Amino acid sequence: MSINRVLIYSLLGFVALIYLLPLVVMLITSLKDLDEIRTGTLLSLPQSLNFDAWGKAWGTACTGVSCEGLKGYFWNSVLIVVPAVVISTILGALNGYVLTKWKFKGSDLFFGMLLIGTMIPFQVILLPMARTLGFLGLSGTTSGLIMVHVIYGLAFTTLFFRNYYISIPNELVNAARIDGAGFWLIFWRIIIPVSIPIIVVSVIWQFTQIWNDFLFGVVYSSGDSQPITVALNNLVNTSTGIKEYNVDMAAAIIAALPTLLVYVVAGKYFVKGLTAGAVKG
Amino acid sequence: MHALKIQNVEKTYGKVNVLKGIDIEIEPGQFLILVGPSGCGKSTLLNMIAGLEEVTNGNIFIGDRDVTHLDPKDRDIAMVFQSYALYPNMTVRQNISFGLEIRKTEKSEQQVIVDKVSKLLQIEPLLDRKPKQLSGGQRQRVAMGRALARDPSIFLFDEPLSNLDAKLRVEMRSEIKELHQRVGTTIVYVTHDQIEAMTLGDVIAVMKDGEIQQMGSPQEIYDNPRNQFVAGFMGSPSMNFIPCQIEKVNGVMQIELESAGASHKMLIKQTIQGLESYAGKKVILGIRPEQITQQGEDKVDSAMLDCAVEIIEPTGPDTQITARINGVRTICRIHPTAECQLDKLMPLMLDMSKVVFFDPETQMRIY
Repeated sequence: MSINRVLIYSLLGFVALIYLLPLVVMLITSLKDLDEIRTGTLLSLPQSLNFDAWGKAWGTACTGVSCEGLKGYFWNSVLIVVPAVVISTILGALNGYVLTKWKFKGSDLFFGMLLIGTMIPFQVILLPMARTLGFLGLSGTTSGLIMVHVIYGLAFTTLFFRNYYISIPNELVNAARIDGAGFWLIFWRIIIPVSIPIIVVSVIWQFTQIWNDFLFGVVYSSGDSQPITVALNNLVNTSTGIKEYNVDMAAAIIAALPTLLVYVVAGKYFVKGLTAGAVKG
Repeated sequence: MHALKIQNVEKTYGKVNVLKGIDIEIEPGQFLILVGPSGCGKSTLLNMIAGLEEVTNGNIFIGDRDVTHLDPKDRDIAMVFQSYALYPNMTVRQNISFGLEIRKTEKSEQQVIVDKVSKLLQIEPLLDRKPKQLSGGQRQRVAMGRALARDPSIFLFDEPLSNLDAKLRVEMRSEIKELHQRVGTTIVYVTHDQIEAMTLGDVIAVMKDGEIQQMGSPQEIYDNPRNQFVAGFMGSPSMNFIPCQIEKVNGVMQIELESAGASHKMLIKQTIQGLESYAGKKVILGIRPEQITQQGEDKVDSAMLDCAVEIIEPTGPDTQITARINGVRTICRIHPTAECQLDKLMPLMLDMSKVVFFDPETQMRIY
């Protein structure tokens, strides 16, 4: 190994270390008890592996008036994220399929307008969406929040799938049409099987966006149906005299764990799929 | 009885007229070639026969049925695409049987058909592979297999050989011809390659700018082109076009050719009625390279011309030489053993019995 290589790798290692430091601090803090936190420094290691704080964050910590930990809210988030990701990915795939293989008059204009949707900040749609949800009778419900995430995510998922499908030759669809297949059959049998990389991209993107969302969660849900991000905020802000840093840290890691997991499992496809769509778009 | 009848078919995209009234009729079992330069509308016409594009005006009949507004699946056709368009997620076997499956053919019968087709095309060892594991020629065969499995009343081929390398193209060309002879189904075949058109077709339709310039058997089109475009498009190397002055001397038509600084009068030994009115005017002489040969064989209708040789290109079976006649570079095809030297004069024989004439203004053949 040349001296250059050594330099490059040690620099990379150093930067990675700095980058990972907050996570390390969170992790070791969550494993200490309050005494250790008070007497030791930020980076001093815990004396023993102590998961009490994790148990408390999961089961008994107070988030506002109720003291049942993050448990319930974690499942709330799952109940919001899974349908929202599935629906927005399927609809995005359908949109992309129509916009590339079954073009209609004005379909390019339609796509252009949809693209604007990717540039609208969350805050802009808060009020109109609240009115819409009220009109539909979905205020404060889980299905209402799912609908908001689906609509907001649709612009992104459509963009992903449309750019991916544009590189699939139209002749493939024509061949299937001559073979006798219709719109849906072509979609399920020909298009979806070659879409795995972009489905992974769409799922990761939407999962991260929706799981990590705080604003829509805090605005459009209430009480027991709130997602974990809102509960985490409440947990950290609820104090009973002493600040339990170890519980806060454990709760934060619990809240971040699912997205971390998704990246570890499917991260490889993410980059591959993103570039596959981007190059030909 | 016709297999395919195209009646005054037009296609417009907005204001652009891509096809301007196409009329074609072919018999069952015929091999129709649509040939022309890119942008002539041949692929659009094929897609309209397939039902992949809407017909703006006119009618298309397959057999006795008016299919003008039918879906592709209801037209009883199969198509082979330029990019083969094999379903990438399916094996060769699934690719071939996909159409059968959709048409709800029984599993056991699907099996029989796949076996028959794969035997015919010699792709049996490939049945369980995916398209990406196949070479270009193999993909081509599978694409044909998929079309054959359906046993349609018409096959449509959209430039199926243009993605193959030169050697494979020639091989697949004869395979397609052999297949047609064996299966006997009507074929409509689009190509821009005039050699493919000549070798494969029973009927050739030469297209340009959305119109059919001429339709006929390959030999008819080669020997009797209706206009200068068809004459120049069919044949490789192209027909030579030499502008020349035409005169009537003592009741015989003759043209004046200038070569290597000397002027020669050539008698036209054909009776071409239309030529009379051009006496004293310019016409375009069309003469194919093989009609200008070395001196030697005693041809009655030939006329001799001394030419200065500018380029010599041996191709093996014969040698092409380029000489200048009336200031135009003219390609001649001579026997490889014939003596010729660069920048030397060489006596060449022009076969005046087969030459054709075109009007310099309209570019139409003078009959």
